[in-house]
Amino acid sequence: MPLATPPAPHLTRTRAAVTATGLWRAYGSGEAQVVALRDVSVEFASGAFTAIMGPSGSGKSTLMHCLAGLDTTDRGTVNIGDATITGLGDKALTRLRRDKIGFIFQQFNLLPTLTAEENIQLPASIAGAKADPEWLRRVIDTLDLRDRLTHKPTELSGGQQQRVACARALATRPEVVFADEPTGNLDTRSSGEVLRFLRKSVDDFGQTIVMVTHDPSAAAYADRVVFLADGQIVHDLREPTADTVIDTMRGFENRVPLAGEAR
Amino acid sequence: MLRAALKGMAARKARLALTSIAVVLGAAFIAAALVLTASIQSTVADLNGDSYTGADVIVQPVEPETSAERHVRDGVAASTLAAIEADEDVAAVSTTVTWMVNAIGDDGKIVGGLSPTLAINWGDESVERELREGRGPEADGEVAVSAQFAADAGLGLGDDVTAYSLSSDKTAYEIVGVYGYAGGRDSLSGATELAFTTPDAQRLVFDGQDVYTAVAVTAAEGVDADTLLAAIGDDLGPESQAMTWDDYIAEANAENAKATSIVGYFLLGFGLIAVFVSVFLIANTFTIVIAGRLKEIAMMRAIGASRGQIIRSVLTEAVLLGTGASIVGTGLGIAAGAGLTSLVADNLLDTATTNVTVPLSAPLAALAVGIGVTVLSALVPAMRASRIPPVEAMREAVKSDKPIVALTVTGALVTLAGAAAIALGLNGVFDGDRTNLVATAAGAGVVFIGVSLLTAWLSKPVVSLLGTVWAWSFAGRLGRLNASRNPRRTAVTAAALMIGVTLVTATATLLTSVKESLNAQFESTVKAELFITGPLTSTVPATFDPALMDEVRAVDGVGTAVELYRDITLIDGTEQSVYASTDLFGAVDQFGGEVVEGSMDDVGDGEIAVNQWSADQLGVGVGDTVAATFSRGEEAHEFTLAAILADNEESDGWYVTTAYTDEFYTPKPTLALVDVADGADVEAVTGDLETLLAGEPEVSVQNHEDYLAQLTVFFDYAIIAIQLLLALAMIVAVIGVINTLVLSVLERTRELGMLRAIGMTRGQSTRMVTVESVTIALFGALLGIGTGLGLGWVLQLALADSGIGEFAVPTALIAAYLGAAVLVGLLAAIAPAVRASKVNILGAISYE
Repeated sequence: MPLATPPAPHLTRTRAAVTATGLWRAYGSGEAQVVALRDVSVEFASGAFTAIMGPSGSGKSTLMHCLAGLDTTDRGTVNIGDATITGLGDKALTRLRRDKIGFIFQQFNLLPTLTAEENIQLPASIAGAKADPEWLRRVIDTLDLRDRLTHKPTELSGGQQQRVACARALATRPEVVFADEPTGNLDTRSSGEVLRFLRKSVDDFGQTIVMVTHDPSAAAYADRVVFLADGQIVHDLREPTADTVIDTMRGFENRVPLAGEAR
Repeated sequence: MLRAALKGMAARKARLALTSIAVVLGAAFIAAALVLTASIQSTVADLNGDSYTGADVIVQPVEPETSAERHVRDGVAASTLAAIEADEDVAAVSTTVTWMVNAIGDDGKIVGGLSPTLAINWGDESVERELREGRGPEADGEVAVSAQFAADAGLGLGDDVTAYSLSSDKTAYEIVGVYGYAGGRDSLSGATELAFTTPDAQRLVFDGQDVYTAVAVTAAEGVDADTLLAAIGDDLGPESQAMTWDDYIAEANAENAKATSIVGYFLLGFGLIAVFVSVFLIANTFTIVIAGRLKEIAMMRAIGASRGQIIRSVLTEAVLLGTGASIVGTGLGIAAGAGLTSLVADNLLDTATTNVTVPLSAPLAALAVGIGVTVLSALVPAMRASRIPPVEAMREAVKSDKPIVALTVTGALVTLAGAAAIALGLNGVFDGDRTNLVATAAGAGVVFIGVSLLTAWLSKPVVSLLGTVWAWSFAGRLGRLNASRNPRRTAVTAAALMIGVTLVTATATLLTSVKESLNAQFESTVKAELFITGPLTSTVPATFDPALMDEVRAVDGVGTAVELYRDITLIDGTEQSVYASTDLFGAVDQFGGEVVEGSMDDVGDGEIAVNQWSADQLGVGVGDTVAATFSRGEEAHEFTLAAILADNEESDGWYVTTAYTDEFYTPKPTLALVDVADGADVEAVTGDLETLLAGEPEVSVQNHEDYLAQLTVFFDYAIIAIQLLLALAMIVAVIGVINTLVLSVLERTRELGMLRAIGMTRGQSTRMVTVESVTIALFGALLGIGTGLGLGWVLQLALADSGIGEFAVPTALIAAYLGAAVLVGLLAAIAPAVRASKVNILGAISYE
């Protein structure tokens, strides 16, 4: 099995949307200290769909949280576009998340008091602005949400809710969208819809997406899969398929026997 | 189950502590009220026990059957005193002569205001006095004064003090001594005192008659009190009665108990309102706690816990919470009661010692009410908890609101029933005015309960309406949406505030209406622009020299000026208000009175005029004869009814010539009405009159506004007193809102985390919670104001026939209530908002 595949033709753009350099992150202290990230350096190319995989406790969520400015790092730097976010205060980080980052959560996390449309507008509303209506129309149409806009989240199925969440993440045309197990709570059909949309948004809109998942078939939608184990990047897979992902995982499952749950 | 309950409580310390504050407050008020009442009573009993020390029998005049003012005629006769002194069972006798007098201080003003100045005979043994300087009065014209009087009047040994009573002329007395009381006190209950020789005291108090206020008798060697009482019985004239010293003290204590229990009831009332409001708070907290433990309870049901066990576990928690809070409340209440006792003792009673008594009823009542209320409030949430199906344990938590239809329908029906009772009562459908009034008042109460039930239904539209205020801010909009998210919870939280605000608004509206009605009535009937009179609060009625009236009339710009004397007179055996004036027609006219029968023009001596209602009461008409005994009169005078006046609040009463004023309790005029001539400058006339009255220390020139302010000052005090009630309701409301918000923030941790993750600032999340808080508080206040105004209006309508013809809205107070509600919302938001802004984003959004 090759350690790395050559980059896909449309990924040859040099600009990186997110860059991490020498990231260290540890929790607790003394005996109980757990090192979640050890010297992780990784680049996420602009306009690419990258999946982060790894067994539980491998540090994949920590990596995403550090990249998104939700968690602090002990050492190393994170850049979003040209901006270094490491060391920024809460205010600056909050503004950065608002303007440059989109989020998709496993739990959808829509506000039950707002309609679908209002939920999509949420990041813009928080910023005291309105999203570009032309762009919004495109996103909504792509996600097939037009006739659901006036519905409250409780009146929507899980798949529809996650599509609303996707639209919310894209509404402000962020530099990068972080998706944390976006299909973890969905059935196969809805998962497919959401993943196809993510793929489409990369291909058609040039959106950068970083997705944490433990589902090989979800990872197969990505351009590239970064494997984490024990706080380190252990593999970088280009042009993945479900099979190559499973093979890769099996490969280091044997190598790292302490890894727990790995479906 | 007990272990589970205890552990559960330990895990929710903060919320339980907040909830228990309401129970603590209620229990504390109840305990404090009972302790204060008992302590003041025992302190006063100690104080009473010191009076007439050593005496065995006290002889007093027979109780006057009518009002206190008539007492001036009554005293133990000198002949009775002589007979007692001659009795062989008697070892010693001391006499008391006392009543209120006027004394002029160094500044030319009357000494004292609300606390009386008393004349006393030196040698009185009703209380123990200790001479500090000089000596007691030995000759007429000499006086010893209490240290408090010397201080208040700014006078000292060797100075002259002018004293007079209603029936005596101003006389100067030389201060020959200054004294205090047992325990180094300067005064008793704040009263100031002047001790004269017995003849001087009798001149001031009894118009110079040789009679006594009381006679204290000490038994001879070997004679007990009862034997003495029996022996003295033969010595007493018909004007006197005797009782043993023990009975006398018991009677005095009973009188005091009656007076102090009013304070106690007041505090008890506060306690009960705190308890009532806390019912909502406690019920809400338990509902909230149970909602948070839905899964846990379902799991317990799934593994075999019975419904009874679930109910018992919730109730156990309630008992523990109620007991803990009640014990703390009782302790605080007892401490507060003791503290208040010494405050009262120091400032009002001037006692050297206090006797703090904790009656068994204090802890018992406080504990019973505290625990009882907590358990009762938890009952409904407990029942609801027991109905949670075990399958909830497996289900993904989808919390749908319970429908509020049943609640709304019940509320609407109750409100309609109350409104129907009001409508029937106001339209006089029932027989009898009283029944109609009761129906209206009861209907108002029922509407109040109905509206309370409707709060959940009302919360949506009202909160949306309030939301328009915050529409400019997105965080504010989210906060408003959150406030209407759970109408039930919002309603119960707001209800705590609504109850308090409704009560105070209704009372304030009614009082303001009464005040306005009085004003309107007064303005529309009274013609005179100016009044010459003294403060209504003075203990001795303020009077002025009637000779001044000629000078008043001579003042440039004065049209008509009439003086009025007033007395409480026995007419055909009933107490009646009687007025006298040298210009009877003028007096009635200035009060807006009209003659309906007979003529006022030449009412002479032996003739009398009266308003229609009073004439009907006595069943007399023009030409009939009535018998009148004035306060200081020895016997009745016959009067022929010469005229009947139309009923008119201001001019109602009996009118006679000034020929009888010497027999009035107040033999000098107490009021003059001055009608300023058309075109004359009222300001200038006022100035001239003030100059004219410079030598009259008791009275001043007042315009309508001044005079009415005096008449209605009681209502102002009453309105202030009820604001205290509001303050209490506010404290409980703050706790309630905090409770609800903390829960909301906890429930929405994930949501808050998401909002923060996608870029909401801490400031925005703080604003969001604050808006939710203020919205709930304003909703409660608005509902309370609306209901209160409605109830006040209904009561005013119901009482319109009783003279409350005007409906007045206490605008300033209502604005203040809204302000207070905003304050409540802001205060309550602090802790939850801080919590919300510190939400750990990672913890909130990670899913495990």
